[in-house]
Amino acid sequence: MRKLRLAIAGLTACSGCQLSLLNCEDELPALMAQFEFHFFPLACSPAVLEGEYDAAIVEGCLSMPHEKELLHELRKRSRYLIALGTCAAWGGVTALRNGEDRELMRQQVYGQSPVAVETFDPLPLGSLVLVDAAVTGCPPEKEELLKLLAGLTQGALPVENDYPVCTECRMRENLCLLTERDMLCLGPLTLGGCHARCPTLSASCEGCRGPVPEANVKEYLALCAKTGRDEEAVLGRLHRFWPGWVL
Amino acid sequence: MSNLRKLDMLTRVEGHGSVELIRDGERVVDARLNLFESPRLFEALLVGRRFDEIPDIACRICSICSTVHKVAALQGVEQALGISISRQTGLLRELAVQGGQIESHALHIFCLALPDYLGVSGFQELAASVPEKLQMGLRIKKLGNQIQAIVGGRAIHPFNLLVGGLARVPDTGQLRFLSEELAAASTDVAASIAYIFNLNEILPTLALVPSCAVSGGPSLFGDCLVTSVGTSIPVKQSARWLNERIEGHTHAKVSHFDETTPFMVGPLARLLLSMPAEHVHRFTDRSIKSALKARVVELQLAVRRAQELIEYLVTDGLKNEPLSAVGHVQGEGAALVEAPRGVLLHSYRFNDRGICRAANIVTPTAINQGAIAVSLKALIATMDGAGYAQVKRSAEMLVRCYDPCISCAVH
Repeated sequence: MRKLRLAIAGLTACSGCQLSLLNCEDELPALMAQFEFHFFPLACSPAVLEGEYDAAIVEGCLSMPHEKELLHELRKRSRYLIALGTCAAWGGVTALRNGEDRELMRQQVYGQSPVAVETFDPLPLGSLVLVDAAVTGCPPEKEELLKLLAGLTQGALPVENDYPVCTECRMRENLCLLTERDMLCLGPLTLGGCHARCPTLSASCEGCRGPVPEANVKEYLALCAKTGRDEEAVLGRLHRFWPGWVL
Repeated sequence: MSNLRKLDMLTRVEGHGSVELIRDGERVVDARLNLFESPRLFEALLVGRRFDEIPDIACRICSICSTVHKVAALQGVEQALGISISRQTGLLRELAVQGGQIESHALHIFCLALPDYLGVSGFQELAASVPEKLQMGLRIKKLGNQIQAIVGGRAIHPFNLLVGGLARVPDTGQLRFLSEELAAASTDVAASIAYIFNLNEILPTLALVPSCAVSGGPSLFGDCLVTSVGTSIPVKQSARWLNERIEGHTHAKVSHFDETTPFMVGPLARLLLSMPAEHVHRFTDRSIKSALKARVVELQLAVRRAQELIEYLVTDGLKNEPLSAVGHVQGEGAALVEAPRGVLLHSYRFNDRGICRAANIVTPTAINQGAIAVSLKALIATMDGAGYAQVKRSAEMLVRCYDPCISCAVH
């Protein structure tokens, strides 16, 4: 059988989504039998785009002009383009001050020096190109990444979840951190699929997988208000991984 | 397509950069490392966030180094706000950091650097040419991840480490499991040392610039910086001493120390300066080409130290503890930790509501830019007359000796 040709690229990000792939230590040999990691600058030389790809798997958001060109190029050459991780799917942690004066932020870091003046508010991949599927999470779950790759070998894209973290949290019979421990847990608003990884260790869900479809933000904020929570803190937490909440 | 020439990208390193060769006619006369990674402006992103959010956000600077960023940020916040942590929390944090050290070194040695020594393109070709060596590396790498996952809740971006303590303390069974795995890994690690020390040299001997490390040795923590020129700088003065400035060709700030001397940080610096002296004799060539050997020796130190830490924790008896209380909301603090690539500094200031007003993060790869520039110049001098492609390949291999982590450097 022909190996599927992959392009794996990182834009504005921490490389964590790509590292999640390299962290599949047990599965890498089987993956190498099925896939050719043709363009994968993090792990393979040289970084040259050549011919067409069965899929481009892209980590990170867009925040510099050259990334737009690279993304267009990947889109043009690939049958499927997959957004890997929350930055690629939603903007992610880098976008948490989107809408504020980016030049001012740039100056906070670089002063008056004209370093990286081209930087713009981080955007998800879907703002520029057609995205065929997304695997979210900061970082994405290894299991979901492997499911994506397994699906590609059958020419299929992953089925997207439509339930919140709470669904899986209840299934694990965890104590509810929001209502029973009065913690600022974003489980009700956040896309599930992580098996409630954080709440299971009694750590609040920080929303790293992005919003669940039909998230009831209004009701969530009302609940927080009822328990006397500082609204500024709630909103701050809400915007950590996605600035786009409609309140 | 104009910007796509930037795809002349340095590969098998974390992040985005390139080695640019400068030519005079046909002769290569100079080389420069350009870090064109997109800046995420973390030091600005953190301003306005509450103290307990800082470590969760700051660890997103880098995935390979996420545990050490998290811990450095936690300790910086705790310093600022007068929070003292328990011995158990300290030991567990260090264990997680050692896990990160193991994972990062194994990744670099067996996936990113080894292809240079065997003349192949990456892990896929390693799997064909030296499958058992790649497997060995992946086993060690996996163990580093298991440690981070058990202590931090996840191998990347550990969420279980909080200001003042942990969300859930791992149980004795989990730590015993790690201890057994670590004991089993020592055979792989010894074999790795033998293998790496016997690889053929791929670079000439190039002198080192002075080196700098955090004082604590194998613990990777410490309260001051020590240098090979005999200076010792307390954590509070570290940021000023590191003296970061902006230079046009790189999105990472460049450290200037006493205005002129670049310093090297990382495994080789640690082995020469702060680690047990028994290993110094292995690095008498004092050359950057030995960095890979330094990493594999450190792999062994990290595995041993992790075993030691687990022994302390199990002997003490693991117990659930409440998070330590905040001493005061307003204040300034900084923390130094050795990241896999060298000295890492996180420094924060909070207002009277515990909101971050200033953040300063100095990373090892940013510090190493000066040392890399010196090494590149020395390499070019030894390769006078060599062709462009040959110089380019050697220059990239040389840069890889520093295992640059460019997301960290630019952040």
